[in-house]
Amino acid sequence: MHVLVVDDQALNRSLLSVMLKQQGYQVTTANNGIEALAVIDSQSIDIVLLDVLMPEMDGYETAPKIKQRSEDVYLPIIFITSLEDKDSLEHCLAVGGDDFIHKPFDKVILTAKIKAHSRTRQLSLKAHEQNAQLEYHYNQTEREHEIVEHIFNNALENQNEFSNNIDFHLSPASMFNGDMLLVAQSPIGSLYCMLGDFTGHGLAAAVGALPASKVFYTMVNKGMAVNDIAHEVNTVLAKLLPGHMFCAATIIELSSSGKSISAWLGGLPDAYVIDQQGKVLKTLESQHMALGILDADEFERELIHFEVDNTTRIVLATDGIIETANDEDEYFGEQRFIQVLGSKTQVSCHDIIEQVTKFAKGSKQQDDLSLVLFNCLPVPSSKAEAETYSPLPFNFSLSLNSAQIKQTDPVLEVVDVITRVSGLKAHRSDIFLLLSEAYNNAVDHGLLGLDSDIKNHDDGFFEFYQQREAALASLQGAMIIIEIRYCPETLCLYFTICDSGNGFTSNNRGHSLAREHGRGLSLLEEIADYVSYNASGNQIEMRYKLT
Amino acid sequence: MSLSKTASADGTTLTIQIKGKFDFNLVQSFRQAYAEIGDKTAKVVIDLRETDYMDSSALGMLLNMKKTLGTSVDAIHISNCQPQLKKILQISRFDKKFDID
Repeated sequence: MHVLVVDDQALNRSLLSVMLKQQGYQVTTANNGIEALAVIDSQSIDIVLLDVLMPEMDGYETAPKIKQRSEDVYLPIIFITSLEDKDSLEHCLAVGGDDFIHKPFDKVILTAKIKAHSRTRQLSLKAHEQNAQLEYHYNQTEREHEIVEHIFNNALENQNEFSNNIDFHLSPASMFNGDMLLVAQSPIGSLYCMLGDFTGHGLAAAVGALPASKVFYTMVNKGMAVNDIAHEVNTVLAKLLPGHMFCAATIIELSSSGKSISAWLGGLPDAYVIDQQGKVLKTLESQHMALGILDADEFERELIHFEVDNTTRIVLATDGIIETANDEDEYFGEQRFIQVLGSKTQVSCHDIIEQVTKFAKGSKQQDDLSLVLFNCLPVPSSKAEAETYSPLPFNFSLSLNSAQIKQTDPVLEVVDVITRVSGLKAHRSDIFLLLSEAYNNAVDHGLLGLDSDIKNHDDGFFEFYQQREAALASLQGAMIIIEIRYCPETLCLYFTICDSGNGFTSNNRGHSLAREHGRGLSLLEEIADYVSYNASGNQIEMRYKLT
Repeated sequence: MSLSKTASADGTTLTIQIKGKFDFNLVQSFRQAYAEIGDKTAKVVIDLRETDYMDSSALGMLLNMKKTLGTSVDAIHISNCQPQLKKILQISRFDKKFDID
């Protein structure tokens, strides 16, 4: 403990110094208020003994200035005074004094008072230190929450992109939501929506949303089916989450035309299919265990599949709604929920939440509460950015002998190579079709001389491919040449497929598309911009326009 | 290239999903996929979400299926087609015979 003695009389200063040093205190002295403040500014002082009457700056003026300098921690000021009148003592207290010592000094009283105030000082120091620590941890937590919140926002919140299709309300019980709503569109345009409810609420419940969302978005991007997505999320969560945690979830997919729904339902309360008036057309009950419980090989993939139209709406909710309780411990429940859905035409999430809040009558929200109204409208497709066409002219040529024709099915491999040229990937299905039709025509009819008419018989289709296999096995001395040229000036692909056979006749052309064996060549002529056959019928040339 | 089939939870819908290439290489497995269809099955969904390629042999297989199943199912849906494949189905007038989505 460091005591500052402030007195203009040298005798008092040395008397007090000696007494205090004997008690083991560190002592510093000052002649007046100005000197005292300078000491307090430069050294750490624990207790101040302050004379009232001093030149330069007296005790009354000094005391408030000392208190000002020590706002956070209690710094006791004990006035040294010979004054006895009540007014003076009151004045001392009013300016910030905490106690008095009367002259002449009584050693026992002085010691007792110093001890008492140093205890208080120590307590105050300790409290201050703990406060600082608390504040440090608080700030640290705040900062961490901010970072996590930022990550969550970036990872999860893209639901607003599809506001025509999706009306939703999410209200977490605490800062982090243990409910999760994910929405995304696949490359073929279908719209996916996943509503999940992790065990518990708060940050502990929310962490699972990060890996789950990553899996969801990745798989939607690949256009996977909802049960495949559920399977994958289940595998990831089963691996990551502690045993008592899981995620009840519903995943639905609306086709881009807005006409059909596939759904995987695992553990959430009933979902409802409603019409514009809110009448429940169908109740979708949960069919599976929640995600994150079963091993991958036990996982149940069964889906629900049904047709919808643009007036159909699907209502998804976590248990927060039906389990909202009022002050009489009564639950909102399914009956009230269904009633609210039908309370007006095109009920909105806002309308429903209003009713739920009214019911709760100010009772504290116990769990995360999420509600989704999914409108089955055709989904506007997101325009994927088109690859630019390569400015380089490419030529590709491939010559196959009998052995290679027997052993391989070269079409897909050729397509894979060709579509490496920038800009062609978007046309891969068409390129495949053209090559597949031309190549298989060359093999089936040019080299093997098979008769397509067989395909018209009962089960002839299957028989045809059995015959093909047999004929292919004994193929000898045959050859097929494939040439493909990419021309960046005309933005066309030129194909030539030539076989060593006797020539296929092109008299199937123009036949009704209803005839199965004619379909191939007719289709080819629709997809290609120009098709021609040589006179002997063993070579086909095609032009395909890329734009 | 592969083919998988799943029955819906209530057993009324059979979904056949084809990955990658839908052509004559699947002739046998495709036929098998619907060969032992149950009485309960009212709808068959051919899910082409992961099908990148198809040619006229696939069209033939689809028509064969329709012929075989006849009126034993209410509907055959061809769903989740990529745009180019949808075009192929439309050119072939398949939209008249199947529900294409």
